[in-house]
Amino acid sequence: MNRFINNIRKYFKYAIYSAKAELKSEVADSYLNWLWWVIEPFCFMLIYTFVFGVIFKNNEQYFASFVFIGLTAWEFFNRMITGSVKLIISNRDLVTKVYIPKYILLLSKSFTYLFKLGISLLITIALMLYQHVPMTWHLLWFIPILAVLYVLSFGIGLILMHYGVFLNDLANLTNIGLRMVFYLSGIFYNISKRLKGKLSFVLLRVNPVAFCMNELRKVSIYGRLPSFEGLLVWLVISLCLCCIGVHIIHKNENSYAKVI
Amino acid sequence: MMKKKDDKNIAITVKNLHITYRGLKKTSIRASWHKLGSKVELFEALKGVSFEVEEGKILGIIGKNGSGKSTMLRAIAGIFSPDKGKINLHGNTISLLSIGVGFNKKLTGKENIYLSGMLLGFSEEEIASKEKDIIDFADIGEFIDKPVKTYSSGMYSKLAFAITAILETDIILIDEVLSVGDAKFKEKSYNKMKELISDDHRTVIIVSHSLSTIAELCNEVLWLNDGEVVMQGLPDEVLPKYEEFMK
Repeated sequence: MNRFINNIRKYFKYAIYSAKAELKSEVADSYLNWLWWVIEPFCFMLIYTFVFGVIFKNNEQYFASFVFIGLTAWEFFNRMITGSVKLIISNRDLVTKVYIPKYILLLSKSFTYLFKLGISLLITIALMLYQHVPMTWHLLWFIPILAVLYVLSFGIGLILMHYGVFLNDLANLTNIGLRMVFYLSGIFYNISKRLKGKLSFVLLRVNPVAFCMNELRKVSIYGRLPSFEGLLVWLVISLCLCCIGVHIIHKNENSYAKVI
Repeated sequence: MMKKKDDKNIAITVKNLHITYRGLKKTSIRASWHKLGSKVELFEALKGVSFEVEEGKILGIIGKNGSGKSTMLRAIAGIFSPDKGKINLHGNTISLLSIGVGFNKKLTGKENIYLSGMLLGFSEEEIASKEKDIIDFADIGEFIDKPVKTYSSGMYSKLAFAITAILETDIILIDEVLSVGDAKFKEKSYNKMKELISDDHRTVIIVSHSLSTIAELCNEVLWLNDGEVVMQGLPDEVLPKYEEFMK
C-alpha cells in the first residue's frame, strides 16, 4: 500500500497533465470543439426521454431529470470499464519504453471521465431548474455517492486492466456484461415501481450501479437522505476491489511489456 | 550526490539475471481453456548474467541478434522484471533513451516536451527550467508551437532526441545509436551524445551492432551470446575476438 501511495504522489501531476492533454486532443480537430461534451449527453437524454417517456408512456415525475441522472452515473461507469480493458494495449508505446506504474494510466484516464461527469452534473442541475424540481441541500450527498461509484469503478477497472492484457476477447465479454447492467440499472425506468417484491430488492442491492443511481435520485429529485448502510457496504467492497487490483498490478506489471 | 572520484563507485550491479518469456502470451478465453493443464512453452532470453559497471564508464554491449541485449537493457530500465537475480542501481536515476515516448500527436511540440518529460520522472519545474535548451537544441523553429502531427519525420525525431538528451539522468541506456534528422543534426546529436556520455559521473550502456561506434565511444565491452556473458573487458581485447567469432 505504501508503494501505491508513493507512486500516486510521484505521478499525480503527470496523470493530471496527460488527462488534460487527452481532453485537449480529443476536441482539437472537431468543428464544434468542446461543445461536444455538452451536446452529446444532452442529445442522449432527449432520445431516451422521447423513447421511454413518449412512446412507452412512462409517467415518472420529472422524467427528463430522472433519465439524465441515471445516464450521468451510467456513462461514467461504462467509460471506466470499457476504457480499462484495452488500456495497457492501447498504450503499447509507453508500456514497452518506460517504467510507469500501470494504475497511473487508469488514474489519468479516470480524470478525463471525471471531467465529463462534471459537465453532465452541471447539465443535470440546469435541467432540474428548468423542470422546477424542488432543490434541497440533500443534493450535496451527490459527492459521497459519486465517490463510492468512482472507487468502485476504479477497483473493477484495475482488475479488468490486468486481465485485458492477456485475454484478447475480454472486451467482448465486458460488453455483454455492461449491456446487461445497462438494462438492469433502471436508467429509464424506476426499479422499485416497475418490479415488485424480491426482484426489485435484489436488483437494487446486488447491482452497484443501480444502487448508486437510485441514491442519486433519492437525494436530488425526491429530496431524501441516502442509505448510509448501503453506501458504507459498497465503499468497503470497492476498497477491497481496489486493494486486490493494486496487488495484482504490482505483482504483474513488469511482465506486461513481454506480452504486448 | 557527491562521491569521491578515486573510489571505485559501482553504478550498476547485475547479479545472476534470468529472464524467461513464458505462458504470458496473448490468448483468447477459448484458447486458454484448451491450454489449462498443458505445459507452457519457456524461452530463456537471459540465463544468469552477472556484471558490474563502475560510475562514469561507458559500457558497450555486443552480440548477435536474439542474444538478449535489448531484453537486458529493458530489465535494467525497470520495464521488465527479472525472473531470478537482482539488479541494483545504487540509487541512481535511469532512463532508456528512446524516441518520442508518450507523445500525443495532436498537441504542440511544447506541450509534448512536458508530457514526455514528466513521464520520464521530471517535475514540471525541472522541465520548465530546461525548456529553452530543449527548444534551442531541437532547432525546429516555429513548429514548436504547432501540433506534432504536422511535423516531418525528421523534425519529430529531432524534438524527441532533444528531450531525452537535455533532460539528463545518472545512467543512460541507449538501444542502437540514434541516427536522426539531416546530416547537420546527425553530427550535432552525435556530438551531444559524446558530450553526454563523457561526463565523469554519468554511466552509459550502449547496445549497438556497429563495432566502430562501440570502439569509438566505449571504454568497456560486454559480449553476450545466447543469454550468457562470453566476456567482459576493454574494447581492444573483446572486439577482435568477437569479430573472429562472427566470421
